[in-house]
Amino acid sequence: MTTPAETTGNSEGTPAQPDETPVRGLWRQGVEVFCENRLALVGLAMFVVLAAVCFLGPLFYHTDQVHTDLAAVHLSPGTDGHPLGTDGVGYDQLGRLMLGGQTSIIVGLAAGILATVVGTVWGAIAGFAGGWVDAAMMRLVDAMMSIPSLFLFMLLAAIVTPSVSMLIVIIGAFAWLGPARLVRGEALSLRSREYIQAMRSMGGTGGRAVRRHIIPNAIGTVIVNATFQVADAILYVAYLSFLGLGVPPPAANWGGMLSDGLADTFSGHWWLLYPPGIAIILIVLAFNFIGDGLRDAFEVRLRRR
Amino acid sequence: MARYLIVRLGQALVIVVLVTIITFVILHLLPGGAARATLGKEATLEQLAAFDHEMGYDRPWIQQYVMYVQRLLHGDLGYSFQLNQSVTEAIGQRLPKTMVLSLLSTLLAIVVAIPLGVIQATRRNRWPDYTITSLSLLAYATPIFFLGLMMIILFSQVWPILPPEAPQGFTLGEVLADPAGLVLPTVTLAVVTVAVYSRYVRSSMVDNLNENYVRTARSKGLSEGRVVVLHTLRNGLFPVITLLGMYLPALFSGALVVESLFNFPGMGQLFWQAALKRDFPILLGVTLIISVATVFGALLADVLYAAVDPRVRLRRSAS
Amino acid sequence: MSAPIDTAPHDGAPGDSGESRPLLRLRHLSTDIALRRGTVHALDDVNLEVRPGETLGIVGESGSGKTMTALSVMGLLPSGGSVVGGEILFEGRDLRSLPPDEVRRIRGVRMGMVFQDPLTSLNPTMRIGTQVAEPLRVHEGVGKAEARARAIEMLRRVGMPRPDKIVDDYPHQLSGGMRQRVAIAMALICSPRLLIADEPTTALDVTTQRQILELIDDLREEFGMAVILVTHDLGVIAGRADRVAVMYAGRVVETAPTAQLFASPRHRYTEALMESLPESVTQETGARGRLYSIPGLPPDLSRPLNGCRFAPRCRFAAPECHTTEVPLSAGEHRYACLHPVTATTTATTVRAVPVSPPAEEPEAAPEPILSVRGLVKDYGATTGGLLRRASGQVSAVAGVSFEVRPGETFGLVGESGCGKSTVGRLVVGLEKPTDGQIVLDGTDIATLSHRERRRTHRQVQLMFQDSYAAMNPRMRVDAILAEPLEIQQVGDPSARRARITALLDQVGLSRRVLERYPHEFSGGQLQRLGLARALALRPRLIVGDEPVSALDVSIQAQVLNLMRDLQRELGLAYVFISHDLSVVDYMADRIGVMYLGKLVEVGPAHDVVRAARHPYTQALIDAVPSAAPGRAAPRENITIRGELPSALNPPTGCRFRTRCPIAEQICETEPPLAGDLHQVACHFPLRPEPGTTAAPTG
Repeated sequence: MTTPAETTGNSEGTPAQPDETPVRGLWRQGVEVFCENRLALVGLAMFVVLAAVCFLGPLFYHTDQVHTDLAAVHLSPGTDGHPLGTDGVGYDQLGRLMLGGQTSIIVGLAAGILATVVGTVWGAIAGFAGGWVDAAMMRLVDAMMSIPSLFLFMLLAAIVTPSVSMLIVIIGAFAWLGPARLVRGEALSLRSREYIQAMRSMGGTGGRAVRRHIIPNAIGTVIVNATFQVADAILYVAYLSFLGLGVPPPAANWGGMLSDGLADTFSGHWWLLYPPGIAIILIVLAFNFIGDGLRDAFEVRLRRR
Repeated sequence: MARYLIVRLGQALVIVVLVTIITFVILHLLPGGAARATLGKEATLEQLAAFDHEMGYDRPWIQQYVMYVQRLLHGDLGYSFQLNQSVTEAIGQRLPKTMVLSLLSTLLAIVVAIPLGVIQATRRNRWPDYTITSLSLLAYATPIFFLGLMMIILFSQVWPILPPEAPQGFTLGEVLADPAGLVLPTVTLAVVTVAVYSRYVRSSMVDNLNENYVRTARSKGLSEGRVVVLHTLRNGLFPVITLLGMYLPALFSGALVVESLFNFPGMGQLFWQAALKRDFPILLGVTLIISVATVFGALLADVLYAAVDPRVRLRRSAS
Repeated sequence: MSAPIDTAPHDGAPGDSGESRPLLRLRHLSTDIALRRGTVHALDDVNLEVRPGETLGIVGESGSGKTMTALSVMGLLPSGGSVVGGEILFEGRDLRSLPPDEVRRIRGVRMGMVFQDPLTSLNPTMRIGTQVAEPLRVHEGVGKAEARARAIEMLRRVGMPRPDKIVDDYPHQLSGGMRQRVAIAMALICSPRLLIADEPTTALDVTTQRQILELIDDLREEFGMAVILVTHDLGVIAGRADRVAVMYAGRVVETAPTAQLFASPRHRYTEALMESLPESVTQETGARGRLYSIPGLPPDLSRPLNGCRFAPRCRFAAPECHTTEVPLSAGEHRYACLHPVTATTTATTVRAVPVSPPAEEPEAAPEPILSVRGLVKDYGATTGGLLRRASGQVSAVAGVSFEVRPGETFGLVGESGCGKSTVGRLVVGLEKPTDGQIVLDGTDIATLSHRERRRTHRQVQLMFQDSYAAMNPRMRVDAILAEPLEIQQVGDPSARRARITALLDQVGLSRRVLERYPHEFSGGQLQRLGLARALALRPRLIVGDEPVSALDVSIQAQVLNLMRDLQRELGLAYVFISHDLSVVDYMADRIGVMYLGKLVEVGPAHDVVRAARHPYTQALIDAVPSAAPGRAAPRENITIRGELPSALNPPTGCRFRTRCPIAEQICETEPPLAGDLHQVACHFPLRPEPGTTAAPTG
């Protein structure tokens, strides 16, 4: 608790220094809080495992996911080197799950990130511009948000034939509304914070406020929201597939596999139904858990003590 | 209050106009142009030209839009050559059924979600809270059609007490005459809604329970039940009213999936079949109507909220 | 309006049953609060007594356990909190051993509580009458009509105007002071034996505070009840309580009859606390002595503690203080101190370190560093929504003029909403004036180009009330302190680094804090950092907007001392904005008093505070509770009643005339700010200006 010798004549008022706790960066403090949230860790583990199986699995478990094999349809799990059986056209179900997972994860991540980026830019511009520009931009968001998203996606999917990249664009291009609203609100609230005023009273410019203060403080909200966007995007892909407007075969995704499995509900081919359904639930849960954990991690640093 | 109503109504109208612009733009992005998309592949060039002229599609786009709006104002949403029916008529037959389905499941969701949320808030961070939170997350992560399917397996196959298909009546009365068939679609649609609402009720209640006025109420020696129900619940539920409005788009999206799964003859199913057949007049008409319904539903919720919450009601009238 | 309570604890309190049975008795009360990071032992072995009809004041700094004591008695501990030991004997029965329903009844009928923040303590969506009458309906089964009638009657007794109308209003339609009256009415509706008031006036302005405290006093006599007055403000206690308990770190360290405690405190903490009060210096000597500031911070109550809890911060601590548990002594004046204050060991000698007068003032008055002329700021009041429509102008600042000379402190006082903060924001350039001039170092900043104006920020810096809010939570201290240097492009990175370390030394913080984040600091440390940041550009003027208002008395003294040390060292000028007259009195050379956007009085600090010329200033001074119970002899008190008028539609002429006790017809015309050194804007100044050629007081 020694203060340097040059201390000016107020030695009697020298307060105790912050606890003897070791100096830790915000990043580490955030990671610690994230790790304290057990569900967040579970979510992270779930995502890592699912992603590893989908992307690395095919390196060790080779299956033909291009040519149909009508001689081996609807095989039960466990037969003939098909641990999860085969589907209605003879694809190995486990291999197909891996392939479908790749699509689901890629589309989910890409669409979620695209939506977040577009929404963040839009919301930030509206929030900073304020006034007339803000009103116009946000009314457009209101209008688009009042069109139920699934209706909009289907309308677009009916116009253009969906491919993986098209799905990403369609979902990403319309899922940005939520982030846009969020970021605008955040920008508006950050803009009036006292530390921005403090900076302005030192002669700082608006650009510096954005660069040094607003973006670093808004980034947490944006990242948290992005994880929820990814979860939502994966569900949207599933819905579009169920409604018959997903990616056409031989490409696969979990939603499509699940909807194909629906047809087999009453014929007892359970292995076509439950594995993709559970996979979707797990991956969506994983992103939700991660999002919750990240929210804590970003917020606790702001909480005093 | 009157001023607020007018302002809010004005906002809603602006949004509706923007929605018509969006549908108008999409109409012109359709593959092969509006005429081709409406009349189908078999139409001859002459037919297309005649159609374009009739609809004014050969005029400057501002005029086109004015004519489009004029047609809308006259209740003319176009004509579906695939159904051989005017879009307005097709929607008119389906809309009430979808509204009934949405309304029923919303009511069910409210009735279930409020007690759940209150239980969570009053037993925060204890097992009832954790259990309900986990179940809500699970419900949220499950695709609606997968959930519905498991309901069908459970209640029509394993334990056959309910029909797996929605009532197929042509009119609203016929649909309502078969309440058993409505159970599974309503419940399926309600489950996700419950997950969202209960989470919202929980956080709203938690916020209110931490307010100082709750401590004041306790200092008066009131019972915990009275504190929660008479003081906190009222205040906690006011903002939920606005959620009813905000949630409408998601509710209608859910209805689209549920109607398709249970073969429920509503707007969602109409839209779904139109999408598979690329019946664009129906697709655009339904999109427009469902959006307008959303806008005015949200308006209704906001106005209701302003009317019941004295904080908003009196502040607005004061200014 | 009568204030006989000011003098001494009165013996003839109604319901006085002599020394018989205490109404409330706490024996060995211990309360724990479980938090994520561990269990805080908020109360440890607290012993207290409240006799029927008396007022017990509980005083202490934040974290001392004063509020937890009140909440433990009421059974209203926050989640995670629980009473873990001891007895709460109310009318002879231990509340801890009674069934919960019984305790609830006692809480509702026999006790009443008034909380700190009247703005949030009432249910916003319930009519006032319903809330006030609720205990009657619940506990006494009174019918609706009768409950309403009694609520109206109760509202009348707490001094609500038009109670029969207000009974149907909602809380947000009332002002803070009025809401606190409602809260009192609610607490008293069942005629309780004990009223617990937890910082009942902390959130209110001084003039309102005085009204509320007087009301509680009157009602105590009328109802013959006992009152526990919990507060951090020694002045509030001094004027109102019969007996006082001083708490520190979860324990009662001293209890005594009020006069005795203030006349001769025995515990070293009590003594130190009183010496930390700015008025302890200014009132006694009138000179500008140095405040005693208790070093360090209160202990962390989640860790095991040995010995006297104040020992680590105590000037007189001996080795045994750190190891021996000290019980309260016996008798009427009880204290828990091994080396108590005695006649021969008072610490006054320690304090009276003579301080050189604040910077030798040159003979000729130097050019002012800041000169404000006719400053006006209006805000357009709009009603929200799309169709924005101006519904009037809020006149926040209406023609304010003053000057600040180098090395001088100009104090700006006034109640909330008077526009003092707006003046501060205008001076530092955070807002643009509607009219008037701000001349900085001889240059009117309105005439400067955008770029030049940014450079003038080097000259003037702002210090905030809440430095935590004023620092980006994601920036480390080194980045926070470097920011002003970066913005003004001062020096290269290594020069900046050197400057930052020098700044830390100046404000007495160790260099190790550079790698930490704002949330890791206590309130006093944050104000030091705020001051360091404000100093980074070597400004000549610092505008402090309530810089110590959020701090405890002992920490406040640390920061005030630091500010004065640095002023002397660096020749700084301060504009010191505060609602707290005693702090401004201590800090300022000259004081300006604001009321509703106007300066009503400007003059040398000593004269303004001790020979006020404007009735508002006098009312403000009279309303400030003094921590010297005996000294406040009955004097011609000017009390103002009523509420601050809206700045949306301020009164014409003298803005104070609607509440002024001596206003006459002529006050409808605006009085000019007249006078030489001690100026006043009043048609009927209370005093003439003494000796027109008076030199600056020093």
